[in-house]
Amino acid sequence: MIRIAIAFLVALVVASITAAIIQTQFNIAALQDWSVEIDWALRKEATFHDIINFSPTFAIILGTSLLFSLPIAYFIDRRRPTAEPIWFVVGGAAGLWVAFLIVDALLPMPTLIAVNRTIPGLMSMVACGAFAGYVFARISNISSHSSNGSEGVTA
Amino acid sequence: MKTLSFGVLSLLFYAGVAVADEEISLSVIAENLKQPWGLAQLPDQSWLVTERGGRLLHIDATTNATQPVALKLPDLFVQAQAGLFEVVLAPDFEQSRKVYLSYACGSASRNTTCVSAGTLDPEMTQLNDLELIFSGTYKEGAAHYGGRMTWLPDSTLLLTLGDGFDYREQAQNLDSYLGKIVRMRGDGSVPEDNPFKHKEAPLTYSYGHRNVQGIVYDAERDAIWQHEHGPRGGDELNKIEAGKNYGWPLVTYGIDYTGAYVSPLQKLPGTVQPLLQWTPSLAPAGLALHNGDLWVAHLAGQRLQRFQFVDGKWQQPKDFLLERETRYRAVASGSDGRLYILEDSPNAKLIALTSEK
Repeated sequence: MIRIAIAFLVALVVASITAAIIQTQFNIAALQDWSVEIDWALRKEATFHDIINFSPTFAIILGTSLLFSLPIAYFIDRRRPTAEPIWFVVGGAAGLWVAFLIVDALLPMPTLIAVNRTIPGLMSMVACGAFAGYVFARISNISSHSSNGSEGVTA
Repeated sequence: MKTLSFGVLSLLFYAGVAVADEEISLSVIAENLKQPWGLAQLPDQSWLVTERGGRLLHIDATTNATQPVALKLPDLFVQAQAGLFEVVLAPDFEQSRKVYLSYACGSASRNTTCVSAGTLDPEMTQLNDLELIFSGTYKEGAAHYGGRMTWLPDSTLLLTLGDGFDYREQAQNLDSYLGKIVRMRGDGSVPEDNPFKHKEAPLTYSYGHRNVQGIVYDAERDAIWQHEHGPRGGDELNKIEAGKNYGWPLVTYGIDYTGAYVSPLQKLPGTVQPLLQWTPSLAPAGLALHNGDLWVAHLAGQRLQRFQFVDGKWQQPKDFLLERETRYRAVASGSDGRLYILEDSPNAKLIALTSEK
């Protein structure tokens, strides 16, 4: 259980930081489209700012989605003949996508996370959900039921 | 980062309020207004008030009786921030009886800010012959329409427009009306001396705006004052000049609601710096000149602010009505010398404020 909790936290933190770094680059690219010069130092400063300030928002959305998607992934994984972390990867991605849809439907602004306004941006954020699922599966070892026969593992 | 400091008020009482060396009194003119948005005073000192849901109301100056003005706005779209916005009278209203309304038009998947003009009947019960004179750039979603209007001395009309929230970069696109202030003649046509000649947005007067919620022409100083909402922080008070870029979203003193930078820059050559900026945001909504002072109504900030012009610039503002804990949507100078304010709620009041030094 502790291993699962640690895996969950590590997945959440790593994916949220990754998402912050990616969305900063999208936002900077949008400014550069209007000929705004962003040098390396400013890019680094902006990225660090967003890691500190954007990651917590992302972590709340991702964490909530993982609480639902990971148990579903585990449920599916246990019913497959061979262990495949792919279900956690797919679960992490699909769960986060649904979470974005719910958040945007509930909040007054059309799209909360600016990078999600474009398909490449949205895909990159959803990929962070997939990454979280992968990290969780690898660290928790929760998907290795066929190799260690740990039928009793619960999410 | 510049941050406004807000004065703390004490001894504030309803209908008889002592604010430092000033006596403020409040009188309720109308109540049970549902999300009112704009107000305009008629020559007989009565008021026209818009409700975002689509109603136009006439409020009698002497009896305070409130009656709806019948109107049929073409393609009105009401949802979230969308709906009926501002009402202004034509400069020649006493002859033409023309009234201008700004509103969101279209549908959830395709909408924009529109302006229609109609003729108010003498009984003030109907707005007839409504004609669409302006529609902006269409977009999806029900946020950031701008919608405030003011007349310039040459009888051209300024209309403020928002960036549509999801389309913030379009505030820099001179072929889009998103994130612009536009200037038009009374019939919606393009004045020849407008600063830009872009085919898709020839009415553009200034650009780089996020969501302009207040604009007023100051005849005494021959200036246009404006305020607009920043995201989290970075609400701005600006002096508007033709052809200028006000920076959004390339520069801002605010950050996105997620905590991320919209831009790491606060200044950039070629963009105009705000005269003042509010961080944290107070969400200014409505702007009026009254006895030479600039009055700002605030939504989230739940107060009125008065700016005084001293030594060529607006000084740090003084706060009013903080203790009422009420959102304010609009403010207007009455011809009777009183200041009129509209609350922002489903059960709002129109209030007259008298200030005596």
